[in-house]
Amino acid sequence: MADQSNLSRRQFLQSTGTLTGATCLKLMTPALFAITQSACTAKQEASPFKVLGPDEAHDFAAIAARIIPTTDTPGATEAGVIYFFDNAFAADMSGQLEGARAGLAAFNDALIDAHPDAGRFGDLSEDERDAFLRTQESGQFFNLAWEMTIFGFFAMEKYGGNKDHTGWDLIGFEGHHGGWQYPFGYYDAEVHGETNRGE
Amino acid sequence: MANEVRFETREEVDFAVIGSGSAGGILAKELSTAGFTVVVLEQGPYRKASDFTHDELSVLVRAELHGGNNDIHGQTFRDDESKTADLPHTPPVRYARTVGGSSVHFTANFWRLRPVDFRERSLLGPISGTNFADWPITYEELEPYYTKVDWEIGVSGAPGPFDAPRSKPFPMPPMPIKSSGVLLERGAAKLGLHAQPEPHAILSQPHNGRAACTSCGYCMWFGCEVGAKSSTLAAMIPLAEASGNCEIRPLSVVIRIDTDEQDRANQVVYLDAEGNEQAQKAKAVVLSANGAESARLLLMSASAQHPDGLANSSGFVGRNLMHNAHSLVNSVFEHPLNDYKGVQVSRIIHDFYDSDETRGFYGGGGIDARPLWSTTPILHALEGRDPGVPRWGKAFKDTMAHDFMRQMSIVASTTSLALDSNNITLDPESKDAWGRPAIRETYRDHPDDLAIAAFLEDRCAELADAAGATKAWRFGIHPTTGGEHLLGTCRMGDDPKTSVVDNKHRSHDVPNLFICDGSSMVTSGRGQPTMTIMALAFRAADHIKAAASAGNI
Repeated sequence: MADQSNLSRRQFLQSTGTLTGATCLKLMTPALFAITQSACTAKQEASPFKVLGPDEAHDFAAIAARIIPTTDTPGATEAGVIYFFDNAFAADMSGQLEGARAGLAAFNDALIDAHPDAGRFGDLSEDERDAFLRTQESGQFFNLAWEMTIFGFFAMEKYGGNKDHTGWDLIGFEGHHGGWQYPFGYYDAEVHGETNRGE
Repeated sequence: MANEVRFETREEVDFAVIGSGSAGGILAKELSTAGFTVVVLEQGPYRKASDFTHDELSVLVRAELHGGNNDIHGQTFRDDESKTADLPHTPPVRYARTVGGSSVHFTANFWRLRPVDFRERSLLGPISGTNFADWPITYEELEPYYTKVDWEIGVSGAPGPFDAPRSKPFPMPPMPIKSSGVLLERGAAKLGLHAQPEPHAILSQPHNGRAACTSCGYCMWFGCEVGAKSSTLAAMIPLAEASGNCEIRPLSVVIRIDTDEQDRANQVVYLDAEGNEQAQKAKAVVLSANGAESARLLLMSASAQHPDGLANSSGFVGRNLMHNAHSLVNSVFEHPLNDYKGVQVSRIIHDFYDSDETRGFYGGGGIDARPLWSTTPILHALEGRDPGVPRWGKAFKDTMAHDFMRQMSIVASTTSLALDSNNITLDPESKDAWGRPAIRETYRDHPDDLAIAAFLEDRCAELADAAGATKAWRFGIHPTTGGEHLLGTCRMGDDPKTSVVDNKHRSHDVPNLFICDGSSMVTSGRGQPTMTIMALAFRAADHIKAAASAGNI
């Protein structure tokens, strides 16, 4: 635990775009509201996260929000994917936390090189965020964030994400169920009740 | 519970059965209900139906039923014996570590072999550079045991136009057709092919006191929570335990089979749940640990008397590994299929089963339609998504939202040829979490294996088009780098120089050691081996019971 908080602190000090009050206000778009509120509140109060620092949480959430963006339908933000990240890094994926932190630091270094005045990733415009992510997408760090976003969006809600089955609803997956009645789809509906059922 | 029996390790039981899967579960039931005392050593835990979940993250991503990913197993892979093997993230050889073995988490597609499978070498002639051979038994000899599997294990189905003769009808009608089946039928009809109902090791009706399938959709890679999937856990283990003669001993990781001065197996050495070494004494040993683990254990049991491994005077232990090759085309249709509901497959096409000289290569296969990578959401995002769309951003999201419900895969399962160079050996460096030498797989498809996979990929693409797909894409023909079908590594045969067990599964070298699982298979079939593994186990059990009763073990 001591190691983790030290890492957190070091990460915090290294980060060039700590959340200022102004940043918090700027990020209060509906899409990012939930997570930035958590992160901003966390500046003053106890963190809502188990292992992620507020800046880390903010960055991961902002990346996830471009992988599965909020459009006319909910995305990673509404699904609470960041809570999956935090839970996973606190449990099954704890062995990958240090690597993820190093990856995030390198990501932020590259961000500063590309956008010296940007602050944090989430401060960029959507187009700038996407353009920057495209420069990162072949790297291990992006792949980890991508995979965790998928898991957080679609894994069972008990893992922290997929809030209210946001992910399942998006793709038409009706979730876990004891069983289903035929017909299941459009094409088998054309034949059921006729010759094929339980011949 | 009243019948639960426990044996002391020093107590010599009639049979120690290593593995509780498709073969081991059947042998344990057959031997114990015939009055023999049996201890089953299973390396995995004893999960019951109520322990199985729909948790995709745990089961698929974290490989819960496999006992974890390759950090636990340390398996290595190479495509050529001259190379040092790599340690991939996913174990190349995949099977369930749980009571019932891979019969618990398999998809339950359940094809018999056909008469031709047993004598292709005679019919087609030799294939140079391979160990292509006839089986030492015929379809007719195995048929009564296929029928036994149908009725005792529980199989749903209906006869198809190319099926092998059967002595008794299916005990249950097939599972109802799904949208993927309707579309496959539609494509087949246009192309002059014959779609037929898929036989399943899944109950379409209550059978033998077990409940029927509820169509929850979690067959492939998951355990069945209602026991409708005909695993040995559901169908055999309860009968074995009820006999009062059989102890299932989970979390028992076997490290060696010992032999005495007469070259007879006399005890099985294993690590118990606490990691302490134990040795179960037995009059005879039945090895049914699967085509990778059985070979590993025989190689690990090398001794001064058996320097190349136990039962390996032929050098054939671990050789001739066959995975079955596969190819597939993903397809998307105008309307929702919701194919994630229910069993995977409802229709198959067997028009291309037989090898055909005019194609210019050996091989055959079967085609089916199923959700496959659109069975569950994570799997769809990782593997099933349209590769022509960026993998993140709005297009990624919108495409998943459209395609998941409308997608199916048309899948070909095909032959693999037996080769010396495709094998299981002990890795010289890597160990598993129990300190055993890790399984090292060496595998490179025979060119004919890739040719038949490519040939059938073309047929799958034609079927997608004929079925009316709005878009379709090929997965492509890739070299096999591992698999779930673990066949051929201790093959049956009459000649002790070119086989490991005789036609009754008795080891040529060690008279009281029987080996029966996927490793027994001489050829690969067309990609759904479990039915045959189970039939072989029922047949082996009859021979072993007869030999034991005659004092001939």
